[in-house]
Amino acid sequence: MGAVLVHIDLDGDRPHPASLAALAAGRAVASSWGATLYAALVAHDSTDRGMGSTAQVVSAGSVPGIEGVQSLLSRAGADKVVVALTDVIPVPLWASVGIAWQGVLDHLRPRLVMFGADSPSAAELAPRTGARLGARLLMRARAVGVEDVELRDRDGGYVRSSDSGAAVVQIGGPQPLLGAEDDVDLVMLVVPGGGDERIELAGTSPADVTYHGGAIVALGDDVAGDAAIARDARKLAALLGAPLVTRDRVDRSTPLAPEVMIAIGNAVADLGGASSLIRIAQAAGKGADGALTGPIGGSLSELVESLEARK
Amino acid sequence: MTVAVWLGSAAPNRTIRWLDGALATAMKFTRTDDPPPLLAVAAGDPTWLDLAADRASRAGVPAAGIMIDLQLDYLGWAQVMAAVARQINATTILVDEASRAERFPEVAALAELLDAAQLTHVVALSPDGQTIHASRAHGNVLQTVRIKGSAVIGIRIPGAPIEEYPTPTPSASMRRLDLNSLGLDPIVLGHRSLPPRSTQQPRRTLERVTEHLAVHVVPRRGS
Repeated sequence: MGAVLVHIDLDGDRPHPASLAALAAGRAVASSWGATLYAALVAHDSTDRGMGSTAQVVSAGSVPGIEGVQSLLSRAGADKVVVALTDVIPVPLWASVGIAWQGVLDHLRPRLVMFGADSPSAAELAPRTGARLGARLLMRARAVGVEDVELRDRDGGYVRSSDSGAAVVQIGGPQPLLGAEDDVDLVMLVVPGGGDERIELAGTSPADVTYHGGAIVALGDDVAGDAAIARDARKLAALLGAPLVTRDRVDRSTPLAPEVMIAIGNAVADLGGASSLIRIAQAAGKGADGALTGPIGGSLSELVESLEARK
Repeated sequence: MTVAVWLGSAAPNRTIRWLDGALATAMKFTRTDDPPPLLAVAAGDPTWLDLAADRASRAGVPAAGIMIDLQLDYLGWAQVMAAVARQINATTILVDEASRAERFPEVAALAELLDAAQLTHVVALSPDGQTIHASRAHGNVLQTVRIKGSAVIGIRIPGAPIEEYPTPTPSASMRRLDLNSLGLDPIVLGHRSLPPRSTQQPRRTLERVTEHLAVHVVPRRGS
């Protein structure tokens, strides 16, 4: 059985919550399939090692705070932790960390690679990893099953232990942590080559809400004055890590291309075709991928309760 | 430098606004002293190719179409577009990643096949000689990025609002390409076929809507 590899993004000095959710799903899969679960991250190391052009395992690296990360990843279920050391400052772009990540892929030759769907690097790294491996790709999936665990997305795609070929899967939503021992091997892998100089990150600034690519909750002006609905809309937005927008910010001609928009009441926007639309309204209307119809307050409240139970 | 726009293998869901936006963005490359050759490329069924050619023609972008009746995965379609890119020596490829969900991973697959740099989620773009200035949406942050050299750029830039558009007619100006002329074997390409999936009915129950949204729930910090 090949390795199961989970990419770990860091959020400050801790693993990103979405990466930990992917690791939890990876633990369930690896235990079911009898595979070794690797957690791998890319870290900066400016030490000049005078190396050649190939990746090398080194006995010691100088990554501040790695002990804490290693301990957390161990307790979250990793069998082994791999740290790919690169001389570039990692930013969540393939151009920055792609060469180092490729070093990890070459070193482990995984059969299954997992990313947290909402982790910072997933959008840039997951599809490129799939292309490198010639792998199938699931964009938002979760682990299902108890003994024969498989990964399933919403469109009927799945990854099972009996499949041939490699797969790359982005894990969405929270996953139950299984817990494990605080004792795990750490491998430091020095990957020469730096970053791709064709892409240069020149700066960052706050993004307008209309550029949000994850989930957006839109509250119609017909229900914005209802205190209970407004409160539940805020809860829903918090659950989904989504901005909450109202009619004064987004109207029918506002172009939006999030992954999913939840429109409450008469909220509308000019959605891109890649977006999924869930409507909570008196009537479903056209073009919705899902809808809860009838009294809006009751539907919204039930949905929030139902999602909170999943967390 | 040749600029290509990959419009994909099926008509946009919901609206053609982002298709128009991709074409309008490509036209920015022609507003220079030395405008590069430009080509919009689509693949798939004839109805979609006619629509793509019609919108490209209205935007002033020459178009090419490859009629294919296969349903391929992201790597399969990337192989098709990569073959076109090689044939026309395209060094900058724009991909309309907002019109259909399955288009987004084709950015990375194309970049991999062409050994090009990749940049996804670009919401604004401005060519400036040999450099392209781009703004990339990343969560609640906008990254300012400079691109030099060969690159595949996934864009989500809308065109003007559009309620209805004229029904396209078969285009005489569209350049017709086929797999053989691109050096692709349909049987080999067929290995990237997607298994047929049942059409998703809209989710109308609390359980099904919850299931749909559960994969968007943010994991707890420290969980």
